[in-house]
Amino acid sequence: MENAWIIPLFPLLSFLFLLLFGKRLKETSAYIGMLFTLLSFIYSLVVLFDRFSNPTYKAEATWLTIGDVQLTAGFEINQLNALMLVIVSLVSFLVHTYSKGYMHGDDRFHVFYAYLGLFTFAMLGLVISPNLLQTYIFWELVGAGSFLLIGFYFYKEEAKAAAKKAFIMTRIGDVGLLIGMILLFWQVGSFEYDEIFQAVEAGSVSAGMVTLTAILIFVGAVGKSGQFPLHTWLPDAMEGPTPVSALIHAATMVAAGVYLVAALFPLFTASETALMVVAIIGAVTAIFAASIGLVQKDIKRVLAYSTVSQLGYMMLALGSAGYVAGVFHLMTHAFFKALLFLAAGSVIHAVHTQNIEEMGGLWKKLRITGPLFLIGTLAISGVPLFSGFFSKDEILIAAWAHGNTVLFWLAVIAAFFTAFYMFRLFFMVFSGNARSEMKNVHESPSVMTFPMIVLGILAVVAGYVNTPWFGTFLGDWLVDGNEALGHGHIEGPAWIMIVATVVSLLGIFLAWMMYGKRSISRDWLSSRMPIVYGILYNKYYIDEFYQLSVVNATKFFSYLFHYIEKFLVEGIVKGITGVVQGLGRIGSKIQSGQIQGYGAMAFVGLALLLVIFAITGGYLK
Amino acid sequence: MDLETLLSYDWGVMAPEFIILGVATILSIVDLFAPKHFNRRILGWIGLAGILAALASLFNLAGLEATSILYETFRLDSFAKAFKILLLIGSALVMLIAISYEPKEGMQEYKGEFYYLFLTGLLGAMMMSSSGDLITLFVGLELLTISSWILAGIRKKHLPSNESAMKYVVNGGISTAITLFGMSYVYGITGTTNLMEMGPTLAQLANSQYLYILALSFFMIFIGLSFKLATAPFHMWAPDVYQGAATPVTAFLSVVSKTAGFALLVRIIIVVYLSTPAGTSGLSAMTPLLVSLQDYIAFLAGATMIIGNVVALRQRNIKRLFAYSSIAHAGYLLVAVTALSAFMFDALWFYLGAYLFMNVGAFAVIQIMTGSSDREDIGEFAGLYKRSPILAVSMAVFILSLAGIPGTAGFIGKLNIFMGALITEPAHYVLAAVMIATTVVSYFYYFGILTQMFFRPAASMEKINIPIGLVIAIIISVAATILFGILPNIGFDFLHTNFNGFVDLLQ
Repeated sequence: MENAWIIPLFPLLSFLFLLLFGKRLKETSAYIGMLFTLLSFIYSLVVLFDRFSNPTYKAEATWLTIGDVQLTAGFEINQLNALMLVIVSLVSFLVHTYSKGYMHGDDRFHVFYAYLGLFTFAMLGLVISPNLLQTYIFWELVGAGSFLLIGFYFYKEEAKAAAKKAFIMTRIGDVGLLIGMILLFWQVGSFEYDEIFQAVEAGSVSAGMVTLTAILIFVGAVGKSGQFPLHTWLPDAMEGPTPVSALIHAATMVAAGVYLVAALFPLFTASETALMVVAIIGAVTAIFAASIGLVQKDIKRVLAYSTVSQLGYMMLALGSAGYVAGVFHLMTHAFFKALLFLAAGSVIHAVHTQNIEEMGGLWKKLRITGPLFLIGTLAISGVPLFSGFFSKDEILIAAWAHGNTVLFWLAVIAAFFTAFYMFRLFFMVFSGNARSEMKNVHESPSVMTFPMIVLGILAVVAGYVNTPWFGTFLGDWLVDGNEALGHGHIEGPAWIMIVATVVSLLGIFLAWMMYGKRSISRDWLSSRMPIVYGILYNKYYIDEFYQLSVVNATKFFSYLFHYIEKFLVEGIVKGITGVVQGLGRIGSKIQSGQIQGYGAMAFVGLALLLVIFAITGGYLK
Repeated sequence: MDLETLLSYDWGVMAPEFIILGVATILSIVDLFAPKHFNRRILGWIGLAGILAALASLFNLAGLEATSILYETFRLDSFAKAFKILLLIGSALVMLIAISYEPKEGMQEYKGEFYYLFLTGLLGAMMMSSSGDLITLFVGLELLTISSWILAGIRKKHLPSNESAMKYVVNGGISTAITLFGMSYVYGITGTTNLMEMGPTLAQLANSQYLYILALSFFMIFIGLSFKLATAPFHMWAPDVYQGAATPVTAFLSVVSKTAGFALLVRIIIVVYLSTPAGTSGLSAMTPLLVSLQDYIAFLAGATMIIGNVVALRQRNIKRLFAYSSIAHAGYLLVAVTALSAFMFDALWFYLGAYLFMNVGAFAVIQIMTGSSDREDIGEFAGLYKRSPILAVSMAVFILSLAGIPGTAGFIGKLNIFMGALITEPAHYVLAAVMIATTVVSYFYYFGILTQMFFRPAASMEKINIPIGLVIAIIISVAATILFGILPNIGFDFLHTNFNGFVDLLQ
C-alpha cells in the first residue's frame, strides 16, 4: 500500500506517451493503453488484498504554504478507496480492450486512447485523495477528461454541444462544491478529511454550518452524478463514443458524486437535514429519470436515463444513512451498467443505428451479445440471484429502516419502471422479426466480447459479497473501524425483498406482454398452454388498461418532466447566459475606438469616486 | 554634491540597472554605425545576454541588506529585488519573442530601435520598483511609458500600429497628469518627496482637512496608475493598443509594464497610505487611511474583473481577447491589494510570476499563429492540434493556467489571492464571490480557443515553422507553468528564504 500512489501514474504515462508518439503508433496505441491500465488494475488488486489484512494507510507531504496555513498532498488507502481503485481500473481496462474493436478504423484512434489514459489517471487520482483540495483538483481534471471524450466526434455539432453542456452543467455544481469546501476550510482550518470529521464530531463547527457545507458539497455531487435538476447533460453526453459512455457514464465519473458523498459521509450524518436533502433528491431523481426512460427510442438514451435513475438510488441509500447500501450499489451498478453499455455498443456496431424501433430479432444473430445483454438487464431489473437484486434490496431496506416511507415507495415504483423499460428495450432489440435491411449483421470480434463476458460474470456474482443469506462480508469490511459509517448490514423486514421481487417481475411481465408477445403466435400458446390462454385472452384488456392508465399517466409525467427540464431548468440557465452576454454586448459597444471617450471614462470614474468619497466618508461628514 | 560624496555611494547596488543601461547604449551606438544591410537580429541576442547578466548580478546582490543611495532616492530592498526578478525574467522572455518577430512589411530599418527600446523600458520599470522618492519614481515611470509609446508605433507603415501608438500617447498623457496632480498633494502636505521621510510626518497628521486632501491624492494616484495596470476605469486603451501593437510589444505591455505598475502602486500605497491614520480621533485614528479606503479599491477590482471577463466573451480578435483577459487578471491582482492580508506580497509576487510565464507563452504562440499575415481572428487557431500537436498542447497549458485550472501555476496564484481575501478580518466575501463568478465566465472564452485548436478542422495543413527564440520561450513558459502548478512551494520557499517577508520595506 505504501506505493499505491503509482497506480494513477500508469494511465498518465500512457496519456503522455500516446500524446507524443501516438501518431506514429496508429492502432498499436491500444496495446500501450491496455498494458498500462492492466498494470493499474493488477496493482489495485494487490492493494485491495493488502487492505483486507492491514489498517488504513495514509501518506502526506507539505505541498503549499499560504501564510501559516500548510496544505498537504498525498494519498490514502481506506476501504472505500481500495474498492474504488479496483472498480475504476478494472472497468477502464475492459473499456480499453473493447475500444480496440469498437474504434477500429477511426482516424484519431490514438487520440482516443490518449484521452482514455488522461481520464483514467484523473479518476484514479480522485479516489485516493486524502483531502478535499486534492479531491477538487482531480475532480476538475475528471471533468476536463470527460469533456474531451464526450466531444471526441467534434465534427458532429451535437457532440460538440454535448461536451460543452456536460462541462458547464457539472461546473455549476462545482461552484457549490468549491464554496462548500472553502467554508469548511474556514471553519475547520484544514482540508483534511480526518480533521474535518474530528472537528464535526467534537462539535466545533456549528450545526447550521455543517448542514450548509454538506448541502453545498452535495450540489457538486449533484452536478457530477447527474442528479435532478443538473442531470440534463448526461443523456446528451451519449453523443460520445459508446465505450466512453460505459467508462464515464456507468462506472466512474458519474459515480464520483456518489463517492464524494460517501467519502464525506461522517459530515453528512452529522446533519439530519443534509441527509434528508440527499435522500429526497436521490429518490426524486430515481423515479423521475426512470419515468422518462419509459418513452425513449434511442438505445443509449434509455441507458442514460437508467443511469441517472440508478445514481438516484445510490443517493437515496446514502441519504438514508445506508452507507454500505450506497457503496454496494455503486459497485454492482458499475459492472452491470458498463456491461449494458458495452453490449449496446456491440449492437450499434452490428446494426449501425441507435433507434430501437428499427431493431428487432437480433437474438439469433448476436449469439454472445444477446445473452450478455439479458444478464445485464436481469441484474439492473433486480431479478433475484443477480447482483442488482442484492444491492437494490439493501437500499430499500435502508430507506425503510430510516423511516423514509414515502421515498421508499417512490423507490419501489422506480424499480417497477426500471424492470419495465429495461425489458422493453431488450424485447424491442432482440425479439420479434428481423428487419429486412439488417441482413448483414455480424457478432462483434472477440476483443469486444471478452470484456463483456468478464462484466457479465461480475454482473451475476458481484452481489454475493454482501447478501442477507451468505453473510455481509463487504458491508462489515467497509465500516470496520469507523463507527460513523453506520452498520455493515441493516436488518429489514422480509416482505421488502418479496415486494421488490414481485415489482420487478411485474415490470418484466408487462414489458413482455407489450413488446415480447409479438414474437409468439397465439396458436402456439392456446394449444399447449390452455391456462395461459385465459390470461392471453385478457391481454387486450391489460393492454388497453395499461394504455389508458399507466402509459398515459406515465406519458403525462414524462412529458411534464420533459417540459420542466426544457423550460424551467434550461430557461434559468439561458437567462443567466443571456444576462452575461448582454453585458458583454454593452461593454463592447462602449468600447467605440473613440479615444476621447476613453479619457472621459477615466475622468468620470475618478470624479465619481471623489464624489462618493466626499459624501460617505470624507469632507461632508 | 561633490565628487567625494558621489564616490562614497555603494554604486554596486545599481549594478543590474547599469548593465541594462550599458547594453542599451551599446546597442544604440552599434545600430547607428552598423551598415544598412547588417543583420540586426544579433543585437537582440546581445540585449538578451544583457538582461541575463543583469539577472545574474541581481542574484549576486540577493543577500544584501536593504540599502539606499543618492540621498535615499534609490532603494534596493527585498521588495525591489523580488519584483526586479520578475521584470528581468519577463523582459528576457519578451526579448526572445521579439528576436523572432518578422512583420509582413519587414522592419529592417528600425530593428535596432526595436531591441534597445525594450531595454530602456525595462530600465524604467526597474527604477520604478526601486525608487524611494517621488521624483525618481516618476522618472522611471516616464522612461517606461515613453519607451512603450515608441514601441507601440514601431511598425511605422502599419496603420493599426500608428493608431495604437497615438491612443497610447494621449491616454498616457492623461494618466501622467492625474498621477502627478495626486503626487503634488502628497508633497504639499508632507513637504518632502522622499517616501521614507513621509512616513513619520504622516503618522502624526492630526488635521482632518489634511487627511481629506490626502485621501483625494490617493484616488488620483490610484486612478493615474490604473492606466499602467489597465484596470477600471482606465482600462479602455488596452484593447485598442494591444490589438494594434506588434505582438512582442503587446506581451511587454501586458507583462513587464503591468508588473512595474503593481510594484509602484504597492510601494506608494503601503508607504504613504498605510502609515497615515484614517481620522483624528478614536477608532479611526487607529486604522490606517488605506484600510478605510479598502471598499473603493474593492469596487474597482470588482468592476475590473467583470468588465474584463464579460467583454472578452464577445471578442473574435485573439489579441483583443487577450487584452480583456489581461484586464481581468489585473482585477484579480487588485483583489490581493484590497485584502491587504498578511501574505499580500507573496500572493502578488506569485501571481505576477505565474501570469508572466503563461501570458508570454501564450503571446509566443499567438505570434506564431498570426505570423506575418496579420490575420488575428480566433479562427486562425482552428485545427492547430492536427497541424502541430506540441504547439497546441503548449497553448492549452497556457490557456488552462490563465483560466485557473488546478495543476497549473495560474490556479495556485488564484487560490492564494482567494484565500487572502477570505482570511482577513473582515473577510471580503463579495469580492471573493465576484472573483469566482467572473472566473467561471472566463472559462467560456478560454475554452473557445481550446475548442478551436482541438475540435475544429484546420483550414490549411501548412507546416508551421517555429523560430528558435520562440521555441526556447515556449519551453521555459510551459515548464514553469506546470512546475509552479504542481510544486508551488519552490516559488514560496525561494521567496521566504531570500526576502524575509519584505519587512525592510518600511525600514
